[in-house]
Amino acid sequence: MRGQDGTDAATRASTPVAFSVEQLAEVHRLQGLYPDRRAALLPVLHLAQETFGYVSLEVEAYVAALFDLTPAHVHEVVTFYTLFFRAPKGRHIVAVCHNLSCHLAGAPMIVAHLRRRLGIDVGETTDDGRVTLQSVECLCACEHAPMMQVDDRYEFGLTPEKVDRILEGLR
Amino acid sequence: MPNLTINGHAVEVPPGTNLIEAARKIGVEIPHYCYHPGLSIAGQCRLCMVDIEKTPRPTIACNTPAVDGMVVLTETDRVKETRKSIMEFHLINHPLDCPVCDQAGECWLQIYYMQHGLYDPRMRDEKVHKPKAVPLGPHVMLDAERCILCSRCVRFCDEVTRTGELGIFDRGDHSEIGLFPGTELANKYSGNVVDICPVGALTDRDFRFAVRVWYLERATSICPGCARGCNIEVHVNRRRPHHNEGRRVARLKPRFNADVNRWWICDAGRYGFAFVDDKTRLLAPSRREDGAVSDATWEEAIGAVAGALRRFAPDEIGVVASPKMANEDLWALRRVLEQRGIRRVAFRVPPREPGDEDTVLIRGDKNPNSRGAELLGLDGDGAAILAAARARVVKCLWVFGHDLLQCAWDAAETDAALRAVPLLIFTGTNANATSERAHWVLPAATWVEREGTYTNFEGRVQRFRAAVEPLGQALPEWDILGRVLQALGVEVSAPRAERWFRELAGAVPVFAGLTYQSIGDGGAKLP
Ligand code: SF4
Ligand code: SF4
Ligand code: FES
Repeated sequence: MRGQDGTDAATRASTPVAFSVEQLAEVHRLQGLYPDRRAALLPVLHLAQETFGYVSLEVEAYVAALFDLTPAHVHEVVTFYTLFFRAPKGRHIVAVCHNLSCHLAGAPMIVAHLRRRLGIDVGETTDDGRVTLQSVECLCACEHAPMMQVDDRYEFGLTPEKVDRILEGLR
Repeated sequence: MPNLTINGHAVEVPPGTNLIEAARKIGVEIPHYCYHPGLSIAGQCRLCMVDIEKTPRPTIACNTPAVDGMVVLTETDRVKETRKSIMEFHLINHPLDCPVCDQAGECWLQIYYMQHGLYDPRMRDEKVHKPKAVPLGPHVMLDAERCILCSRCVRFCDEVTRTGELGIFDRGDHSEIGLFPGTELANKYSGNVVDICPVGALTDRDFRFAVRVWYLERATSICPGCARGCNIEVHVNRRRPHHNEGRRVARLKPRFNADVNRWWICDAGRYGFAFVDDKTRLLAPSRREDGAVSDATWEEAIGAVAGALRRFAPDEIGVVASPKMANEDLWALRRVLEQRGIRRVAFRVPPREPGDEDTVLIRGDKNPNSRGAELLGLDGDGAAILAAARARVVKCLWVFGHDLLQCAWDAAETDAALRAVPLLIFTGTNANATSERAHWVLPAATWVEREGTYTNFEGRVQRFRAAVEPLGQALPEWDILGRVLQALGVEVSAPRAERWFRELAGAVPVFAGLTYQSIGDGGAKLP
């Protein structure tokens, strides 16, 4: 299992942190869109996450250099938002809503079930790198509680059986 | 210029002045944490709320510029309630560990709680815990639990040093000040974040737990660390000597001067005072005869020096004065030189390594008074004096403070010069390789043990005052030189530093008209 915090030295060394020429052009385009180019930090960090898998400290330092910022200021942004992964994440992200409606409708039971089935805790990734489990704030689908987001998809009206079926489909 | 009313008093301020500064002008203090006049506005702490007529709710004063006709009230019930609530918010997760906090006694959480808080805490839940006693760098210690996230330290590193080491990481009540992992806070001005941190989150690793702040006494002074002459306060611990291992000077703090250092000082200056209470201090006059060193009385020492100045021909005497000496000392020295007609005098001794310099404060010249020594006409050729000593032309060499064996001059040649002179006199605060070779050593008081003035690189004359008594029998150089002058037959009245300054101001045209009073605590720029 890999925790949310602390980067994995081996992974870091093996991934060269550098954008392609096209990506760099995109970075410049994004920076040009705003009066203060620092505003392009979020889209560029997303691009970095897509490219390098997660936002390691090395990636933060690389992005900082592209913006003439110190790494500390990029670290501020990355740690502020939950959608940036600071450690390698699984091929699939399973994010269960734990806010009020889902909680009342059984989210804790769904989370417990997922932890048992995956053998990991919230915030962790399975050893085979298949699934990262998260528990998140409201995803704006209270009428379908309990619900979760699997990658780009919403899954509604969860039961343990339904969760099992969904997990089956994740390779 | 906007004209406004604050608590019923009219005040006129320059355009762009914010309400905190406008209120300050008429003596009204608006409580605040994040606002600092030397930094950008963050509007982070929300404590500076005031009521402005025709505004529906309290407004932050730090980010509100004064406008003509504005009517501001800082003490309405609504403002007081707001302050109280904000204090409660700031303290929600605070560990309340004042008894073991080094900031206690000068903490703005304590001060403002007593002035504006005084509520019954309603926090029942477990507080959020964060790292404590984390060294951020060589000088600064972080206690993240005590931090109120005012961001002053972050803005300091962004805007003043432009090094950007600090950030606020994570979110909500987990937010925390910190460094990018694997880096440290080691810029040349890092100590200033301790000064501007309003609470006990950032403390000084050197001063921490040395002495409680309420035992400190303070004197206004000038940093002797370089030619800038930053204005400082010397904080000394006289009442609890056992608290600080005999260190009398507890810390140096910057003192605001708009024309010199604003609110800041560098770390080299801040921590450069260890020599004051160091074991190498020279405590009594001493003589060295046939390799044996023995203490002497001041009478003997002054008599020996005056005797030598009489015995040797003026051309046989060389004096290496110091740009670390005050104007008063240098003037007294000039009087001695003139009295005997001594012409071989210099004060510049080039360091081995050129001093570092930047565009913030730090000057390459690591002496506080080179300009003063220049203006007092002591700028001769030091290397030539040593060469004359080597050639046995100079037979009596008087060195002030310098270690001539630790400078850019060839050590072997200097050694030969020191070997060749029949009489070497040393006056200084601490022992060094040169003082160890001297036949007579006259111990001098350090700058915190006396008063005087330095002239900084821009020609600003600035006063420093005594914070403690001289150690042992040490005396200010002006006093030593005054006694020598007296022994040479010149009447010297009122042995006080000010006397020498008055005489100097009367004699050297560029200083004309200056007095200790007119210099005051802000200094006076020479024409
Ligand atoms: S450490 Fe001090 S100066 Fe920095 S944000 Fe916290 S309270 Fe403010
Ligand atoms: S810049 Fe120079 S005068 Fe100012 S604190 Fe540093 S050493 Fe002292
Ligand atoms: S001083 Fe105005 S918000 Fe902090």
